[in-house]
Amino acid sequence: MITRFCLICIFLSGTCSIKAQSFLQQADSLLTAGQYLEASVAYERVLFSETAPEVRFAAASGKTQTLKLRGRYTLAIDFLNTQIQQTGTDSLLFQLRQEQILCAYLAGQFENTISLTDRIAYIHPDLPLSPVTQAVRILSLNELQRWPEAAAYFKRLAYGSGQDTTLITAYDQLPKLKSAKKAQWLSTFIPGAGQFYAGRPGEAVLSILVQSAGLYFGVVSFMQHYYLSAWGVGAALFGSFHAGGVRRAEVLVNQYNAKKINAFNEKLKEQTLQLAGQQKE
Amino acid sequence: MSLPSVLRFLWLCCLSLSGSLTLAQTKPGFTQEWRFAQYLSDKDAFDEAAYVLGNISPDGLTPAQLDSLLFFRGWIAYSTKSLDEASQRLLQVSPKSAFYLKSQYFGAYCLAFQGHRQQAADVLQKAPVPDSSLRELRALQLGGIALLQRQYEQYDRQRQAFSYGSYAMANEEKRMDDYRKQLQSVKRRSPVVAGLYSAILPGLGKVYAGKTKQGIASFLPVLTLGLLTYEGLRKDGPLSARFIGFGSLFTVFYVGNIWGSVVSVNIKRSEINRVYDNKILFDMHIPIRNLLN
Repeated sequence: MITRFCLICIFLSGTCSIKAQSFLQQADSLLTAGQYLEASVAYERVLFSETAPEVRFAAASGKTQTLKLRGRYTLAIDFLNTQIQQTGTDSLLFQLRQEQILCAYLAGQFENTISLTDRIAYIHPDLPLSPVTQAVRILSLNELQRWPEAAAYFKRLAYGSGQDTTLITAYDQLPKLKSAKKAQWLSTFIPGAGQFYAGRPGEAVLSILVQSAGLYFGVVSFMQHYYLSAWGVGAALFGSFHAGGVRRAEVLVNQYNAKKINAFNEKLKEQTLQLAGQQKE
Repeated sequence: MSLPSVLRFLWLCCLSLSGSLTLAQTKPGFTQEWRFAQYLSDKDAFDEAAYVLGNISPDGLTPAQLDSLLFFRGWIAYSTKSLDEASQRLLQVSPKSAFYLKSQYFGAYCLAFQGHRQQAADVLQKAPVPDSSLRELRALQLGGIALLQRQYEQYDRQRQAFSYGSYAMANEEKRMDDYRKQLQSVKRRSPVVAGLYSAILPGLGKVYAGKTKQGIASFLPVLTLGLLTYEGLRKDGPLSARFIGFGSLFTVFYVGNIWGSVVSVNIKRSEINRVYDNKILFDMHIPIRNLLN
C-alpha cells in the first residue's frame, strides 16, 4: 500500500516537474527568438503552475527580461513587487530585489533606485551588492547631481575591483554650472549680457540689435512728434524683445548646464560600468 | 526484493514517464486556459491575458464556453480601454449566459462613452432588470444618456425611478439632477451677436462668449493699431505710407477679431459640453462598477 502511494506521488511530481520544465524551456527559446509577448505568457504559465522556488525564480527572471526588452520598465518593477511578496528564499529574494533596482534605474526613477538600494542593504546586510547594482546606485546619484555621495560609492566600487583608490580623480573636477538667475539679472540691465554669459555670443548680438532697433524707432518717432508711434511701436517692440531676451537667457543657461551635466555624467557612466565589469570578471 | 516486485516497479516507472511526457505535450483545455487568463487578468497582465484568450479556438466549444470567451475578451478590452472592441464583444454574449447582465450594462456604457448614445439607450431598454436595484440602475443609465443627448424631458421621465436612497448610486443621482439644472441654466450665446459686439468694441464679443481674458488681450492690439492709423491720418494724410500700412494692419486685426469672436462662441460651447459630458459619464460609470463588478 505504502509503495503504491509513493509511486503515485512520484508519478504526479514527475508529471508536474516535466511540464514546468517544458514550459520554461519553451519560454527561454521564445525569448531567444525575440517573441517577447509569447515568452512572457510561457513564463507566466510556469508561475501559474509551479511551486518550486528555483523554477519560479527562473520564470520570474525570464518574465522580467521580456518586460525589459519590451521597454516596460515600470511594469517590471510592479511585477517584481508581487514576486518578492511570494518568494520566501532569502538568496532568491535578494536577486529579485537587485533586478528591481536595475529596472527602477532603467525606468528613470532615480530617487526610487536609491531608496531601493538603501532598503536592500538594510534587509540583507550579510549579502554583498552585485557590481551592477553598485554601479546603478552611482549612476542614479550622478543623475540627481549628488556627486559627493556618488564619489564615495565610486571609490568603494574601485576598491572592490582591486584599484588604488588614491589615484581616482573622476570626481575631482565637478562641472562648473552657471546661474539662471544671474543670467536673467544681466539681461534685465544689459541687453544681450545674459546670452553672452550663457556662452551664446551670436544670440547676444542679435538680442542687442533687435532691442536697439525698437528703441531707435521709439526715440526717432518721439523726436518727430509721432508720440503714438513712439509708444505703440517703438516702446512695444523694445519691451517685447527685452522681456523675451530675459527669458531666453534663462533658457540658454539651463541648456548649457544640462549639456555640461550630461557630458560629465556620460564620462562617469563609462568609467563606472568599466569598473563594474572588471569586478564581475 | 523479489523479481515480480522489481518488474512491477519498472513498469510503473515507465508508466510515470510516458504519462508525464503525454501531459507535457497535451493542448490545454478551455477551463484551464480560462483560469490561466483569469490569473493573468488579476495580475493586470492584460496583454498576456488577451493573447491567451485570443489563442483559444472557438471550434468545439459549447455555447456557454463561447459566451464566457466573448465576455472575457470584451472585459479585457474594457480594462485596456479599447472600448470599441469591448462593446462589440460584450454585446455578442447571448442571454443564456451568466455574464449576460454584466455584458449588457458594460457594453452599453462603452457605446455611450464612444458617443453612440442612441445605440447605448437601445441596448439598455432591452437589458434585464431582475430586481429593484437594477431597475434603478437602468433608469440612471438611461437618464445619463438622455442628459448626454440634452433631452431633458426624457431625463425627467427616467429620474422618476430614482430613490436617492441606494448606497450604490444615491450620490450619482443627486449629481445628475444638479447637472440637469446647470445644463439648462447655461445661457445659449449667439455667434452673430458675438460678432456684432466685437464690431462695436473689439474683444467685447469674446467677453460675451465667456472668454474675458481673451477679449481683453485682443482689444489691446486693435486699439494700438487704431491709434497708430489715426496718427498717420492726422499727421501725414490719407495717401501716406504710414496711414496705409497701419490702416491695413488695423483692418486685418479688426476683422480677424470679429471672426474670432464668432468662432469663440462655438469653442466655449464645446468646452462646456465636454466638461458636463465627462462628469455625466463618470457618474454613470461608478454605479455600474459598484453593483455589477
